[in-house]
Amino acid sequence: MDNFIKRYPLWSLIFFLLAAAFLCLVLAPWPPELVAVWGRKQIFLNALLGGITLGALYFLVAAGFTLIFGLMRVVNLAHGSLFLIGGYVGYEVATASGSWLLAFPTVFIVVGLLGLLMQFFIFSKMEGEELRQTLVSIGLSIVFADLMLWWWGGQSYSILAPQFLQGPMELPLVSNINDATGVVTWLRYPAVRVWILVAAIVIGIAMWLVLNRTALGMLIRAGVDDREMLAASGVRIHLVFLAVFGFGAGLAGIAGIIGATFQSLSPGEDTRFLLASLVVVIVGGMGSIVGAALGALIIGVAEQMGFVYAPTYSIVLTFLIMAAVLAFRPQGLLGTRR
Amino acid sequence: MSVADQAPRFASPADQRMWSERIPAPWWILGLILLLLPIVANNFWLFQIMGWTFILGMIGLSLMFLAGYGGMVSLLQMSIAGLAGYMVAILGPSGAANVSLGLSWWIVLPAAFLIAALFATMCGALAVRTDGIYTIMITLAIAAAFFYFTRQNYSIFNGYSGFNLVLPPKLFGVNWRDPLPFYYLTLACAALCYGAVVYLARSPFGLALQGVRDNPRRMAALGFNVTAHRVAAYALASVFASTGGILLVWQNAQIAPGTIGISSAIDVLVVAVVGGMRRPLGPFIGAFIYVLLQVFSTDILGFFGFSADRFKLIIGIGFLAIVLFSPDGVLGLWDRWRARMAARKAVATGGGA
Amino acid sequence: MNAPVVSSRMNLPGTGNASSGNALELRGITKMFGALAAISDVTLSVKPGERRAVLGSNGAGKTTLFNCITGDFLPSAGLVRFFGEDVTVFPPHERIRRGLRRTYQISSLFTGLSVMDNVYLACCGVSRNRFSLVRPRPDDALVQAAEMLVEAVHLTADKDRLVGELAYGQQRQLEVALALSGAPRFVLFDEPAAGLSPTERADLVTILTSLPAHIGFIIIEHDMDVALRVADSVTMMHNGRIFKEGRSDEIESDPEVQELYLGGGHAHH
Ligand SMILES: Nc1ncnc2c1ncn2[C@@H]1O[C@H](COP(=O)(O)OP(=O)(O)O)[C@@H](O)[C@H]1O
Ligand SMILES: [Mg+2]
Repeated sequence: MDNFIKRYPLWSLIFFLLAAAFLCLVLAPWPPELVAVWGRKQIFLNALLGGITLGALYFLVAAGFTLIFGLMRVVNLAHGSLFLIGGYVGYEVATASGSWLLAFPTVFIVVGLLGLLMQFFIFSKMEGEELRQTLVSIGLSIVFADLMLWWWGGQSYSILAPQFLQGPMELPLVSNINDATGVVTWLRYPAVRVWILVAAIVIGIAMWLVLNRTALGMLIRAGVDDREMLAASGVRIHLVFLAVFGFGAGLAGIAGIIGATFQSLSPGEDTRFLLASLVVVIVGGMGSIVGAALGALIIGVAEQMGFVYAPTYSIVLTFLIMAAVLAFRPQGLLGTRR
Repeated sequence: MSVADQAPRFASPADQRMWSERIPAPWWILGLILLLLPIVANNFWLFQIMGWTFILGMIGLSLMFLAGYGGMVSLLQMSIAGLAGYMVAILGPSGAANVSLGLSWWIVLPAAFLIAALFATMCGALAVRTDGIYTIMITLAIAAAFFYFTRQNYSIFNGYSGFNLVLPPKLFGVNWRDPLPFYYLTLACAALCYGAVVYLARSPFGLALQGVRDNPRRMAALGFNVTAHRVAAYALASVFASTGGILLVWQNAQIAPGTIGISSAIDVLVVAVVGGMRRPLGPFIGAFIYVLLQVFSTDILGFFGFSADRFKLIIGIGFLAIVLFSPDGVLGLWDRWRARMAARKAVATGGGA
Repeated sequence: MNAPVVSSRMNLPGTGNASSGNALELRGITKMFGALAAISDVTLSVKPGERRAVLGSNGAGKTTLFNCITGDFLPSAGLVRFFGEDVTVFPPHERIRRGLRRTYQISSLFTGLSVMDNVYLACCGVSRNRFSLVRPRPDDALVQAAEMLVEAVHLTADKDRLVGELAYGQQRQLEVALALSGAPRFVLFDEPAAGLSPTERADLVTILTSLPAHIGFIIIEHDMDVALRVADSVTMMHNGRIFKEGRSDEIESDPEVQELYLGGGHAHH
């Protein structure tokens, strides 16, 4: 950080000013002139929060994707299928048991197991053959998609959030101040989204801690940096691979439940979330958890902002971000060059 | 994948023969069958099955050119084909008269090729910023972005509904959408594209592309601008994709975002991989298998007691089987079979002597 | 010197700055790999047409120095001038097009292509032909040039064989042929004689000594016989630094060097 400020004083200043302006936009009530240009502050705040919570969801999907890639160099294009399977299974569990919370451990185990099987029976058999692994994952995604379509049909499903998470909650953000009465309206936002954001942050921090503070994390990071060395050091690298694959898959499954609670599930969502993961890790940097978080935040917010302020071009915005990153920093914002 | 080609090396004595002598007999037979096919085949076979095979084969060929010779597995080729097709619909006449410009074909066709080539060059320039397996991811993301864009944009791409009534020009008084002319049109285009790829593989550009695939660092140390070569390959491959794309619009008489969706992009990859990505013939074989499965999926699936909806399952499982057991596709299987037969014959004659 | 003559013949941009008069000039080149300085503060100049041998034990940083000169690596610090032009941050192909060539210590060839195709590619790399979509005819100038190079390294009999099928010594010869393609002005040879048989070594020495006088080179070579026969001057490297430079005969008779190399045997491979 200090280094960055020293090396690029001008950029630091610009970043600082932008951040300050942004905070003003979020915290202060908007003057009428601004409202005239950009519409009501509530719309802006809603888009922003929507973007951040969508980013949280993207992060959960992309974290597993980027971890699996970072460690095993497997570009798992069936990752979106894992997301969708998680959502469907979560729906079944939640409706059968009536418990939303129970769906999480169940799905984590079921989808995690599926991931383990994929790694154990297929990907580990073709280690180092990146292209073949990727092609296999494409084949798997085609098969999974059709099996799911067969079983769950084309209609859309959504999971109802439990009672205690339903309804809006008030956030300490000023939505509007009535000029006449001076009454402050605080922003109200769906509670379930807020809690999911919190959960994603907790999971993200936990992953970071595990990666950076534990022996297992050391192993994984060592594997990301130098697989040959790790393999030569006698560590049962295949167990580490399995664990990471299972965990990443389970995470994608859990994200499926959340996706089904946020929005809904239908055939095609697998592709959508696969693409989101791709863009997130391209922007954030392959193999980096913090990069995935940053990328997810950027893409989520860009998508929602685009959706609200320029609906026709929302996709173009996301794409332009990706293109700009590729053009100026091909390894991704926080990626390391290989 | 190594540089392996059955094409003769240019400096070898084989080159002194006439071109017609250098083409082995099976090719003459295949060519004759294809030329005479209309005698026995009905319109459905000519238009739907063979026409579609050639079209899909050409789009797959553009992927094969990039992947087999350049080592760049691009999922963009369907988007490029689609853009060329869209350009024909947008610049030329179509049912969506308020969007289409209705220009005449001799402006429309070159413009379509040019715009698609520009698009391919730009996307290629982005995709080659990183290499290896990233290419698949980046090109997939770009293809998806283009798909969503065409769906959202109404002023140029006419959004969700796309364009209908896009018909080929009635050149020489022929209705090129009639099965027989369309069959010969696609056959001629496919043969041209195929020949071009075979020829280019031994040109300085093609050789250099294979060199870039195998050893980019050494290529740079020989004075080649590796990045420029890769980007140029995208531009060149766009010609084959565009040819396929334009014919595809004419065949369907319409184009819509669905034509260039993610699953179509993946289908092109499936076609090239199933046929074999190391030889220009591969995509055509893959396309033929794909089209047959698609067209007769009802019968095939019904035979196994499934409903016709399970077509994608068949494709997915077949694709998986090929990738798992024969990475060089059906052509690879064929090569292995021939090698085994040759070995057996050698053993037999050796034993007899 | 003869740099202007060469540059006018080659028609290359940005050449012929005779102010320094050096073919290659390195100033303060340092290359770090993490915390390890593979080479530190190397300053060196070589005149056009000069032949220089670089000696030094394994890990001395010789190959890394070559990589910094060709642009395979960017140096962490320092300046590279090629015929007066600052090429420090040029990409490799730009340097090659200005007449720099190299061979690799570990053969880096196109094993799936024939010998002819390898050499032909090398000839294309520096010609405008490299983007040509037209197959060359047998009487094409580049094909002729490639044939001559193949002849020069005694591979004519094997010119249609795949490079992967060649014997080790033949592959080393081909490395040399690739580096001599397309009118080079300055060549870096990275241990071209390593692993060659005595006859192949003699062939190599003939090839190197019969190069046109305007082509200078640096050769990394452990075999003092080869090194001193082909080079006019010697640079000794140790631990990433230059510790001695001089004319071949001076170095040969230098007691320190004698102890290191000529007496101590050739334990480096
Ligand atoms: N790509 C690299 N990454 C890390 N270290 C390297 C790399 N290339 C060379 N080195 C190190 O730099 C030092 C010099 O190596 P090198 O230049 O190959 O020596 P030489 O050619 O004189 O035998 C060695 O310690 C080697 O391990
Ligand atoms: Mg060395």
